[in-house]
Amino acid sequence: MLFLSRIADLIEWLAQRHRLLPWLIAYALLLPLPLILSTFFNDYLIDLANRACLFIMLAVGLNIVKGFCGQVTVGHIGLYAIGAVTSAVLSLEPGGFGGALGFGLSVWVSIPIAVIVTAFAGLIVGLPSVRLEGAYLALATLGLGESVRIFIAVTPALGSSTGLMMIPAPSIGGFVFDSFTSYYYLVMTAAVVGIYFSFAILRSATGRAFQAIREDTIAASVNGINVVKYKLLAFVLSAVYAGLAGALFAHMPPGYLHHNNFTVIEMVTLLLMVVLGGIGNVWGGVIGAIVVTIAYDQTKDLVVYFMDRPIVIQPLVFGLSMVLLVLFMPRGIGGWFEGVRRNRRFIQRSEEKLGDAARNS
Amino acid sequence: MTLLETRNLSKSFGGLQAIDDVSLTVEQNTIHGLIGPNGSGKSTFFNLLTGVYQPDEGSHISFDGVDITNSQAHAIAKLGLARTFQLLRLYGELSVLDNVMVGYHPHTRYGPLAPLFNGAEVRRQDKAVREEMEELLEFIGLADHAEIPAAELSGGQRRLLALGRAIAMRPKMLLLDEPGAGLSPVNVDNLMATIMTLKERYNLTIIVVEHILKVVMSTCDTISVLDHGQKISEGTPEFVKNDPAVVEAYLGREMADEDIRAAMDA
Repeated sequence: MLFLSRIADLIEWLAQRHRLLPWLIAYALLLPLPLILSTFFNDYLIDLANRACLFIMLAVGLNIVKGFCGQVTVGHIGLYAIGAVTSAVLSLEPGGFGGALGFGLSVWVSIPIAVIVTAFAGLIVGLPSVRLEGAYLALATLGLGESVRIFIAVTPALGSSTGLMMIPAPSIGGFVFDSFTSYYYLVMTAAVVGIYFSFAILRSATGRAFQAIREDTIAASVNGINVVKYKLLAFVLSAVYAGLAGALFAHMPPGYLHHNNFTVIEMVTLLLMVVLGGIGNVWGGVIGAIVVTIAYDQTKDLVVYFMDRPIVIQPLVFGLSMVLLVLFMPRGIGGWFEGVRRNRRFIQRSEEKLGDAARNS
Repeated sequence: MTLLETRNLSKSFGGLQAIDDVSLTVEQNTIHGLIGPNGSGKSTFFNLLTGVYQPDEGSHISFDGVDITNSQAHAIAKLGLARTFQLLRLYGELSVLDNVMVGYHPHTRYGPLAPLFNGAEVRRQDKAVREEMEELLEFIGLADHAEIPAAELSGGQRRLLALGRAIAMRPKMLLLDEPGAGLSPVNVDNLMATIMTLKERYNLTIIVVEHILKVVMSTCDTISVLDHGQKISEGTPEFVKNDPAVVEAYLGREMADEDIRAAMDA
């Protein structure tokens, strides 16, 4: 704990030298990760790291609308699906397998278009938030998100039950991002930039307006905040994160997309990341995404035998940990750590004051 | 000069006439008291002025020469009308400093997407705002608690913060909804002294709803009295105190002996 706090102090000290310094150092430290993983472990872990980066983007984006702005949305995974399928279909060659649509666009064109399309979809998912709150809003967004998945599942042009195959990988000049390691640099960069911008939003009038709406909507409107505008903006911003994560997911090796990647279970996993990390806490969301991605992977094949019949207990473990978290650690790892640091700073300042008083007397 | 004017202001909830045809004018740089028994419509009146509720047809509200009858709350706030709430409605999880910085929101000069495209400008402006807000916190005596979440303040400090958040909006007019509720007499006196200083310093016009009559009588230039949503009296504190209609509203009408006998016979 003290160690973590020291690191946080060090980061603050670095940020005082130059505000981008901690970011550059973090980025530099992340660069050799694939080399380390493939040397000491295996290549599969690089793929896992890539998926963790995608989930970091999703969690950080979800945190904007749910954590900062307090809007309970369960449709986020649907936005992820829209980003993925849009970019896949735009970049596929026309006349692909099983009647899948294809427009043959460059990946560098299809990804931005997918992000814009997802942003619009985010606006639509956000519309119920103008009228609905809490559980009702959750239900409305759940319906929207799940209908996206079902729409994909029944539309052959979007892959239906076979999924979309041979989705092209991005390339620059002659270099193709078709290996786990090369793709890592793409998704890791996107995740770091995403986290940076999330902080930029949080530490501005925009972020304060989001939080004011979360804390008290009426007080926020009386403080001159256009509540409808900012709620929708939060949904659109989080959709941009989801759209980018989805698009990057579509082109990730092996270039295959199936609607099973966008189920309610995935949504619950995503929620677990944000809740474990601490709702409203950016670093918490990042840590939550990493921890849950690894835990999800490790418990995937966890089977217990009951009367000689195998029972997959992963959903049980995840559901139970969610309930326990909400009960005993409602503010997650991030909220708890923040509290510890705040108390430490308060004690430090009080001691300084006492010291001053003693010296002056 | 008249800063705020309502004409034929009405608001009904279903069958309940919460505000009934109230016309009221408030002159610039005055303190206007609004009193009345519980449920007489004082808070509803504030909610109508600040756009939290929309008034009924035929109502008219103008503020600083602008018709705000059907304006939304955030638009009214931008015109310079600030308020506090009876139940404070602070942003509990936000720090004290962030609470007042949210109050400054109407004067933010960069767009909501500026943090993505123009970070340097955001940091430059926020730094200036932070310094100004720290000065405000210093003035109301909360500077030492700037980083603490608002929910962790004591009752009196919370009332000060609610006041500070409204002042951060740099308003022309300030509506105070029971600023002294729940405070000990000494603290009420301190709070009123703070309010008077703020009024001078920021050149404010104030409407205050208050149950503590001593406060209203000693500070207000004009007092309006509401009862059952209607304005039943208005004038100087001295006039209102002796108005039979006001006494009746607060204490009930004295029943003459024959009335009682008639009631018992019936």
